[in-house]
Amino acid sequence: MTVRAEIRLRSGNQMVVEGALRAGCRFFSGYPITPASEIYREMTLQLQARGEVAVGAPDEISALCYCIGASQRGVKSMTATSGPGWALMIEAFQWALMTETPVVVAVVQRLGPSTGGATQGAQGDVLLTEFATSGGYTVPVFAPSTPLECFALTVQAFNWSEALRTPVVLLSDKEVAMTYEAVDLGALPDLPVWARPQAAGAGYRAVGFAAPDEVPPFAPLTGPLKVTLTGSAHNKDGWLRKNDPETLEVLHHLEAKVAARAGEMAMVTEDLDEDADTVVVSYGITARAAREAVRAARAAGRRVSFLGLLTLFPVPAGAVRAAVGDARRVVVAEENLGGLYRRVLAGVLPAVELRGVNRLGGMIRPAEILEAL
Amino acid sequence: MVTADRPAFLGDRPMPYCRGCGHGLVARRLAEALGRLGLDASQVVLTSDIGCVGLVDPLFPSVHTVHTIHGRSTAVAAGAVLADTLLGEGRMKNVVMIGDGGATIGLLHLTQAALMNVDLTVLLHNNMLYGMTGGQHSALTPEGFVTSTTLAGNWLPALDMEQVLRGCHGGFYARQLATDRELADVIAEAIEFPGFALVEIFELCTGFGVPLNEMDGKTLRALAEADGRELGVRIRRPDRRPYHALYRERFPSRAGAPPAPAAAAPSSPFAHRLERSLGVVIAGSAGERVQTAAAVLTQAAVLSGLHCVQKNDYPVTVGSGFSLSEVKLCTEPILYTGIDEPDAVLIVSADGLREVKGRRDLDRLGPRGLVIVDESLAGELPPGRALAAPLRRTLRADAAALGAVALLVARTGVLARDAVLAAVDAVGGKDAGALRAAVEAAVPGG
Repeated sequence: MTVRAEIRLRSGNQMVVEGALRAGCRFFSGYPITPASEIYREMTLQLQARGEVAVGAPDEISALCYCIGASQRGVKSMTATSGPGWALMIEAFQWALMTETPVVVAVVQRLGPSTGGATQGAQGDVLLTEFATSGGYTVPVFAPSTPLECFALTVQAFNWSEALRTPVVLLSDKEVAMTYEAVDLGALPDLPVWARPQAAGAGYRAVGFAAPDEVPPFAPLTGPLKVTLTGSAHNKDGWLRKNDPETLEVLHHLEAKVAARAGEMAMVTEDLDEDADTVVVSYGITARAAREAVRAARAAGRRVSFLGLLTLFPVPAGAVRAAVGDARRVVVAEENLGGLYRRVLAGVLPAVELRGVNRLGGMIRPAEILEAL
Repeated sequence: MVTADRPAFLGDRPMPYCRGCGHGLVARRLAEALGRLGLDASQVVLTSDIGCVGLVDPLFPSVHTVHTIHGRSTAVAAGAVLADTLLGEGRMKNVVMIGDGGATIGLLHLTQAALMNVDLTVLLHNNMLYGMTGGQHSALTPEGFVTSTTLAGNWLPALDMEQVLRGCHGGFYARQLATDRELADVIAEAIEFPGFALVEIFELCTGFGVPLNEMDGKTLRALAEADGRELGVRIRRPDRRPYHALYRERFPSRAGAPPAPAAAAPSSPFAHRLERSLGVVIAGSAGERVQTAAAVLTQAAVLSGLHCVQKNDYPVTVGSGFSLSEVKLCTEPILYTGIDEPDAVLIVSADGLREVKGRRDLDRLGPRGLVIVDESLAGELPPGRALAAPLRRTLRADAAALGAVALLVARTGVLARDAVLAAVDAVGGKDAGALRAAVEAAVPGG
C-alpha cells in the first residue's frame, strides 16, 4: 500500500474552485461573504495566475451583473455568495434566466434569516434558490455533501448551465464549504465538459427554437450575428411584444427546455435495502449524518435505506420514487425549520408517511436521525 | 460623414418618444457619432436601462442590443467589456443608455466603472424626473423643480454628476443639452475615449417636466447651468489608463493553466495504531497557530493512510479571542464530520479554555478521553482530570498547540512521531524548521 502523493487537504470551497477551473470558467466576480469568501479569494488567485479574469465587485448585484455581461460576450462565468448576497442577486438572476444567459452562482448557505450566523451552517435557502423566480420556472440546483461532490457538481452546474443556457445554483453550506478533508487530487473524476450550442448564420433568430424544449443557439456580443437580449417578455427575434402568441411560446420554452431534461439531470447517491420499511432522504452536509444513521440502524437489525440528493431541482422524482419503492415511511433530515425539502417531497410521495428531522444552529447528529427511525 | 436626416445605424422606425422629448435627439446624435467613427455594427453594443430610454433598442436594428434590468445596465456592460478586452478581441464599443433611474439605482455601478476606468460610454438622459412612471422626482431633480411628487417644488438640490465623477477619478465627463449642435461630436469623443466616459445630457420631459414647470429651451439651459455648473466637456484625463490595460500588465495572458508542479512519488504510509477513529479538539488563542497545529495532525494522518477532516472556528475578528480546530481521524471514510464525543481535548490558552467550556467539550468527553492543558490552566480543571504540561513556558506561545499535538501523539501512540515531523515539513512552509524544533522540544528524543 502507498499513500498517493496527490492527497491534499481541501475544503469544499476549494473543490468548487477546482471544479470551476475544470469546467472552463474564465471569469469570476465576487463580493466577500462568509462562508463563501474562500471561493472568491481562490478564484481570484487562480484566474489571475492564468491571465484570466477575476474582478472584485462593490456589491453582490454588480458581481452577478459583471458575470452575466461576460457570459453574454461568450465566456463561462461564476460568482459565489451566501444568503444575504443571494437575496440581492435575485433580480439579476431572473434576468439571466429570461435572456437565456449561462451563469453559475455558488450559494454557500449559512444560518439565517437576515445576517443570521456568518460562521454557522444551515440549509435554509433551499426553496429561496428554487423559487427566487417569478412564474414557476425551474432553476437547476445541485447540492454537494463532500469536497469531491463539490468538484463534480460544480462541473455539472457549468455543463447544464451552458447546455441549457440558463442560470444554475450550486447550493453548498458552511459545513461542506469550510471543512477540510483529505482529497486525492490525482483521482478526480474525468468529467466531460460541455459548451453552449453556438449559432451559425443560416436561419438565425435571436431566440431560435422549433420545439419548445430546444435550446436556442448562442451568439456572442461582437460576433457577426446580431444579438438582441431583453428581460422583457419577447418574441423569437428578442423584441418586446405583448399579446403575441410567440411571446407566450418563448415563456413556455424557458421552462420546457429544463423540464425536458429533468431525468438526465437527476443525480443521487444511494445505499438501498430492497426490503426497507423506512428510507432516509437527505442532502448537503446532513446527507452524511443520515448515511451514518442508516448504517447504525442496520447494525441494530433495522431494514432501512439511504437516499442522498445531489440534484435538488429539477426534483429527481423518478429516482426518489424508485428508491422509496414499497417503503411505508420516509424520513427527511435537513437543517431548517419545518422541512423545506420535505414539502417538495410531499408532492412526489403522496401516499408515504413523511417524517422530518430538523434543526437550527448546528449540524444534525446521526443519533437524532436514528431516534426518528 | 453621415449627417443626413437618417444617419446610418438608425433604422426606419418612427421615434417612439413623446413629441419634443430629448431622447429622440440623443438617439440621432448617437447614430451620427457611430457613423462618424466608422464603426462596424458588430462592434457596437447598445446597453439600455429601464424607462423611456429603454425604448431605444429597436431604433438601432444592426447593432447588438442588450436591454437590462433597472439601474444595472452599467454593470452588465462593464462585465461584457472586461470579457471582451481581456479575453476577446477587444473591439467592443459599449454604449450604455440610462435615464434618471439608471443613474440613481445604478449609482454604485457608475462610480465603480468610473473608478476602474472600464472602457465604456454612458449617455445619461437627464430629464430631471422619472418620466415613464408618471413624472416623480429623482435625485437629479433640481431644487424648486415641480414633479408629480413635489408639487410645491423639489426642496433638495440635484446630485452633481460632475462632482461624483471627479470623486471617482473619472476619465471623461461632459455636460450637454440634448439640443446642442456639437452633441454628436462629444458622443463620438466619449466613445473613442479609452476608458470610462459619461455624457450627461439635459433634456425636457414633455410629458411631465414641461406641463408642470414653465419651461422652454432657455429654462433648460438655466437649470443645467445652475449653481455655477458649466456645459461642455468638463473632464478629460488621458492619463488614466483603462482597467484592462492595468490588469493585463499585472496578469499577463497565458494559454491555459500554469504548469502543475511535478507530482511527488507516492510514498509508503507511516504506521499508525488507530483502531477506528479519533476526535480531537484543539483550543487556544487567535494568532497562536492553533490551525497550523491541527493541520499538522491532519496531514500526519494523511501520510499514515488515514481518512481525516479538519474544521476551524474563530470569532469574526480573526485576530482576537479564541481559535479552535476540530480534527477527526478514521480508518474508514468519514461520513458525519462532527465530534459529538471527543477523544481528546487540547487546551493551550485561557481563551481556548473559555471556548471549550462554552461548547461543553469536556462534558462530552468519552470515558477514556484525554485532556492536555497548559500548566497555567491546570487549576481551573478538576484535579487529576488533565495532563498538565509546560507548553507555553518551554515552547513559545505560538508553538504551544503544536506541542500539545506532539504530546497527544506520543501519549496515545496513534501516529508515528516521524509522521508528525513529515507533516511539519509538508505544511510548515518557511516555518517548518521552527515547528520541527517545537515538536522536538515538546517530546524530546522520539
